[in-house]
Amino acid sequence: MTKSLFLSNLILAIIWVMATGTLTEENFLFGFFISFTILWVITFKKEERKYFTVIPKLLAYIAFIFWEIIKANFQSLKESFYPKSKLEPAIVKVPLDAKTDVEISILSNIISLTPGTLIMDVSDDKKVVYVHVMHLLDKENFIKEIKLKFEKPLLELMR
Amino acid sequence: MKDILIMILASFGAIFILSSSIGLLRKPDVYLRISVTAKASTLGIGLMLTSAALYFNDYSVTTRIVAIILFVFLTISIGGHLLARAAYFTKTPIWKGTKVDDLAGQYDEVTHELYSEKHNSSIKPEKDTSI
Amino acid sequence: MSLYDYFNWIIIPILGLSVILVFIRFLKGPSLPDRVIALDMLILISVCIIAIYSIQTNQSTFLDVAMLFALIAFLSTSAYAFYLEQRQRK
Repeated sequence: MTKSLFLSNLILAIIWVMATGTLTEENFLFGFFISFTILWVITFKKEERKYFTVIPKLLAYIAFIFWEIIKANFQSLKESFYPKSKLEPAIVKVPLDAKTDVEISILSNIISLTPGTLIMDVSDDKKVVYVHVMHLLDKENFIKEIKLKFEKPLLELMR
Repeated sequence: MKDILIMILASFGAIFILSSSIGLLRKPDVYLRISVTAKASTLGIGLMLTSAALYFNDYSVTTRIVAIILFVFLTISIGGHLLARAAYFTKTPIWKGTKVDDLAGQYDEVTHELYSEKHNSSIKPEKDTSI
Repeated sequence: MSLYDYFNWIIIPILGLSVILVFIRFLKGPSLPDRVIALDMLILISVCIIAIYSIQTNQSTFLDVAMLFALIAFLSTSAYAFYLEQRQRK
């Protein structure tokens, strides 16, 4: 359902570009936005409405990930000058809710790019993932934080 | 105006790369080093290439640069994961200050399979007390 | 201060300093994975230097070289990791 809506959105955007006669990225994006709003107004089925919540959520998630990457960089800039005694590294087992390969690979990529964490390996039965942490304060708290911050919104998007 | 923006972006990128190389020199064991380089260099390279894209201000150059940045973002974390795994197999010593090591003994010696439940094998790096 | 001078006097020295620091780790590195990660970092810094050089000479063709270097960095890292793992297996 989401796919056909996305396709009709794309076709409407192309029609907009053809009608206005200027092929630039800005014009295409503008046409995409206009057809998105029009489709939003005219769709009423409940399962079809999902498409309109997914795209803003996806954009918000991408912005959040970029913010986390920038934060990670500033943190590691600070950490380069820390003395060794302040480090508390650990390898922690984090249980996974994600099931398919695509979900696990996206999640592990995100975890690797965010502050102080590095994926060591995924277990062969895809149930747990081992994460190397730079500053471990509390194990339970850390696992809960990863699940709440990265995994839950990702699974909401993918399913 | 554009020149000043390019200067600011390039300086931030250079500072990130310098900090990650200092981290690479100062961290006590392999796993910490991998984790430092995987992070600070992504944004460093991204900012440098973005400043090049701003300078040329050309459609074909911009698409090429976006391709490079996406590629680097995807591959750096995968490369770090592969290297950390290989370092763990070769029993590279882990720093003595490591608090928890859940991975110790989880790999099978022969099949290199990773278990999620408790497993006892000989693949565990010893703590490095010299550093 | 023009863009050319700024890159010549500030950015390139910072990158050169980081190349030296990474190279010290490459020489020191107690184990093989240390050396591999230093080599990977060296290639990534050279991607940055190529980007700066393409701005200085005003030739966007050099960015193709940067793309190839990024590809080679990933390839060499994964090949080394595979080699390390298989060497252990005997």
